[in-house]
Amino acid sequence: MPSTQVPPIAGAAIDPPSLRPPIDDAVIERVAPSEIRARLEALKADGYAMLLDLGAVDYLGRSPRFDVVYHLLRLAPKPASVAEVSTPTRLRILCGVEEDISLPTVSDLWKSADWAEREIYDLFGIRFDGHPDLRRIQMPNDWVGHPLRKDYPMRGPALERAPRPAFANKTNVVAGSPPSGRTLEALQEQVKRVREGRP
Amino acid sequence: MTASATPPPEVISRSDTTMVLSMGPQHPSTHGVLQIVLEIDSENVVKADPEIGYLHTGIEKSAEGLFWTQAQTVIERMDYLAPSSNALCYALAVERLLGITDRIPQRAQTIRVLIGELTRIASHCVWLGTHGIDLGAISVFFYCFDLRENILDLSEATGGARMHPNYIRVGGLNGDLPEGLLARLDALIEKFPGRLRELRGLLQANPIFQDRTIDIGVLSPEEAVQWNVTGPSLRASGIAYDVRKAFPYCGYETYDFDVPTRTEGDAYARFLVRLDEMEQSIRLIEQARRRLDTPGPVMIDDPKVALPPKETIALSMEALIHHFKLISEGFRVPPGDVYHSVESPRGELGYYIVSNGENKPYRIRTRPPSLYNLQALKGIAPGNLIADLVVMIGSLDPVFGEVDR
Repeated sequence: MPSTQVPPIAGAAIDPPSLRPPIDDAVIERVAPSEIRARLEALKADGYAMLLDLGAVDYLGRSPRFDVVYHLLRLAPKPASVAEVSTPTRLRILCGVEEDISLPTVSDLWKSADWAEREIYDLFGIRFDGHPDLRRIQMPNDWVGHPLRKDYPMRGPALERAPRPAFANKTNVVAGSPPSGRTLEALQEQVKRVREGRP
Repeated sequence: MTASATPPPEVISRSDTTMVLSMGPQHPSTHGVLQIVLEIDSENVVKADPEIGYLHTGIEKSAEGLFWTQAQTVIERMDYLAPSSNALCYALAVERLLGITDRIPQRAQTIRVLIGELTRIASHCVWLGTHGIDLGAISVFFYCFDLRENILDLSEATGGARMHPNYIRVGGLNGDLPEGLLARLDALIEKFPGRLRELRGLLQANPIFQDRTIDIGVLSPEEAVQWNVTGPSLRASGIAYDVRKAFPYCGYETYDFDVPTRTEGDAYARFLVRLDEMEQSIRLIEQARRRLDTPGPVMIDDPKVALPPKETIALSMEALIHHFKLISEGFRVPPGDVYHSVESPRGELGYYIVSNGENKPYRIRTRPPSLYNLQALKGIAPGNLIADLVVMIGSLDPVFGEVDR
């Protein structure tokens, strides 16, 4: 589904995390979907008791298309006393997922993954095998589509059908790239209609 | 008892022993638009399933279509009780992507700490006031909102708006503190300890308040970690994890402050931790205030990120060009991804930001502390009374702009 919202980035620019050395205080790891469950189990046993965050990014045009991003946190070896403050470590795990591949759930390892996985399913359409209650969480239950995907129109499916003014399409487009998507088709259709004298 | 012909609309289904009841989304004690699908056995909660998303506004999606500076205005609206925490976290994350973290002026960092801690007190004031109202203590609300009003007045002086000042910017601050603000701040700092004593006096030893909160909604340390609870709610369970100490930003490592913790893990402990936290915030504000006597720049000296001073635009061609380019196109951020978090009044607020080198963010993923804190309700609600559910929601302090985004 082409849309004017897709930023036309090409080649290496499509995978920003691989472009730059980490500028983070976190350790970064890339794990394949088939090994993610075993890796996370091992990490949890290793002391990463907290699944700090679970999110996803859509790199449309790259293979694999999505990155599911796990942020883990290891607190101090034992719960710190009132006086001392724990010095934790953070770990980021990136897991590339294709559109039709589902990931194993981690909601049995960390209870907090329950809503996070539901949100990824709702907004990106990535499924999690073994999740006890995988249904939409932010959008209404009868919603069609997954809004945070890059090919989901920014203004919603209904509004996007109307042609947008030319200036609205200029930003985020590399100079010289041809216009694409529905806006162009709609405009051409409109021009054709006027020329042929149709209403 | 004969069954009535039509059950009330809140009742979803009914069996011999339990009834499924909908609490909210318009319930006054759910602090916004939270619906809880309750399975109850008479007055006892068997299962509580919070339904969120009633306030979903697609902020993360909107931000993908805005310039880096414009995105901050929508991001500030996530946690509308502590907007400057959102702005601060976002600015810090983008600064790291730009690689300018070390070049932010010292005065800007100090004012950021000051604003962050004032925001924390203002946010805790709303929490305490509404928490009191939930439990029938009306007067606390007025005391809290009076104190918050003083802080909002300062916010208005800095950024021009009471709720969403948009004062903290990528690269520093919108401008220096206005004249006379430090004097008003000094007056407020003098008032703080007395006002806080008042707030404590209203509730801390109040037997009704204690009856309603002690041993209610107990969150063990293990459970708190499992549910990914952060902030005061985690520290009330005995784990001293505070982002300001663990991953310091804005020079928090140079300030002298404690991280209050409790071990009980109940609603009363969360109340005490937040009150202690307000005291620590006052200490931080006093220290930051002392560093503000020496003037200095508050915005990075980099024409590619910061707008040129207004008076130079009429005199310098470069300044005019930079001004025009920054307004019409914004700045570009080198490709890469970063996770940065701050200690917001509700817990660890984090942004995972991906840039593809354009003038707009490619993806902004929020780690909303309220979402994870609220989720813990599923774990602590069963076995309690419906009336205590209200206490538990209040003590977890969710903000729905942030839960639903």
